[in-house]
Amino acid sequence: MDTSREDVGIAFRSALLVKGTKQKFSLIALVIFSIILIFLETIETKPLNYIRSFLKDTVYRGSLVISAPSKGFNSFTNYVSTHINLYKNYESLKVENDKLKNNISESKFLELENTQLRKLIDEQITSNSDLVSARVMLDKQSPYINSFIINSGSNKDIKNGMAVLDGKNFIGRIVDVNFFSSRILLISDLNSKIPVIVEPSGNHAILTGHGDNNPSLQFLPENHQIEDGHKVYTSGKEGIFSPGIPIGEVKIKKKEIKVFLFSNLDQITFVNVKLERANNN
Amino acid sequence: MALSLKNIKYKILSIFPILLLLFVSFNGNSIIDFNFFSINLHFIIVYYWALRDPDNFGYGFIFLSGIINDVVYGLPFGVNALCLLLIAAVAAYVRVVAVRVTLVNDWISFVPALLFANFIYFLSLYFSSFEINYLSLFKDSLFTLIFYPIMWALFSFIINLRKS
Repeated sequence: MDTSREDVGIAFRSALLVKGTKQKFSLIALVIFSIILIFLETIETKPLNYIRSFLKDTVYRGSLVISAPSKGFNSFTNYVSTHINLYKNYESLKVENDKLKNNISESKFLELENTQLRKLIDEQITSNSDLVSARVMLDKQSPYINSFIINSGSNKDIKNGMAVLDGKNFIGRIVDVNFFSSRILLISDLNSKIPVIVEPSGNHAILTGHGDNNPSLQFLPENHQIEDGHKVYTSGKEGIFSPGIPIGEVKIKKKEIKVFLFSNLDQITFVNVKLERANNN
Repeated sequence: MALSLKNIKYKILSIFPILLLLFVSFNGNSIIDFNFFSINLHFIIVYYWALRDPDNFGYGFIFLSGIINDVVYGLPFGVNALCLLLIAAVAAYVRVVAVRVTLVNDWISFVPALLFANFIYFLSLYFSSFEINYLSLFKDSLFTLIFYPIMWALFSFIINLRKS
């Protein structure tokens, strides 16, 4: 019994503590160093932040170069599939165009009515937010993390928490800023929780990501009147983002209220970052 | 010493695992997502090469690769590095105690390696206030284990090619 315990001990020591002939570091030293690094991550000091930013910027640039061939291959396959689906897309666009033509007259009338009503209540629509455009450098998505890296950071006055738009649609927020790059946490990510409002029912909810492309609405009142096709916008509650940024459309699936985003998160090349946070006004 | 074709082939195949490891980390392919399931390629590479060819697979590179992966995926520094080093630790232990190289031996001992690594992954992310999808994590571990023999065959072929 003692001998077998000793054997295990010897095997354990030889595996963890003894360096191989060509190994420069022992395993245990690197394990301890990794644990120290994890703890250091919780400390926010200027020198550490500078080192982190520098490291991240360097890795992002390296990753951009190394992933160029696979990116090229992806765009080629996209190009081919777009051509294959060309006729199908043409047919659906034709139907959509007819529908839109019918809606135009109605929408013009509503626009006019809206302007008149706004004048009536003397509301001035002013926006003090500036947009900064940035290119998506990396879009590494895994089942756990859905995020983008963009090529602008503190050099363009980007700060944590700012809203990120694809055109006019909300797609996520800034969670990490380096000198020349930033990370966007997409609304589809598990860690993303955004206060939203559903129109025309007017219900407030939290839009929660699940790792796929369709986040869902949570914390709704029991007697809500949300139906398929209702639109979801940022609510501006708690001053996190400006209100009224479009996000997506409701689709109820097996009693779960899913939101189909207006933007296709897989096809984004450029994004706009809203420089003013609502609570900084 | 003349540089023969055999020598060049040997050199290239010797650095192949390190190149693959760094490529996978930089390219963000450590987890290959097939919509319904995903495979952690990183774990398989580290486990196989730390077990079969540790002389050409430095622990320093494993650590570096983990740090790069953390940056690319936006995780706290050290999380992936720690997981990969634990995988390498289990592989090192198995290497010391195992007598014969067989797929079944490697495959069975990969189970505790996966369990350790995922447990540490879960703990580190939990304490860093990252939300985790447990089902995805479980499916990822399961399919990584199922996929292991395919990669084992491929990597064994590369080792045999180097020897020839």
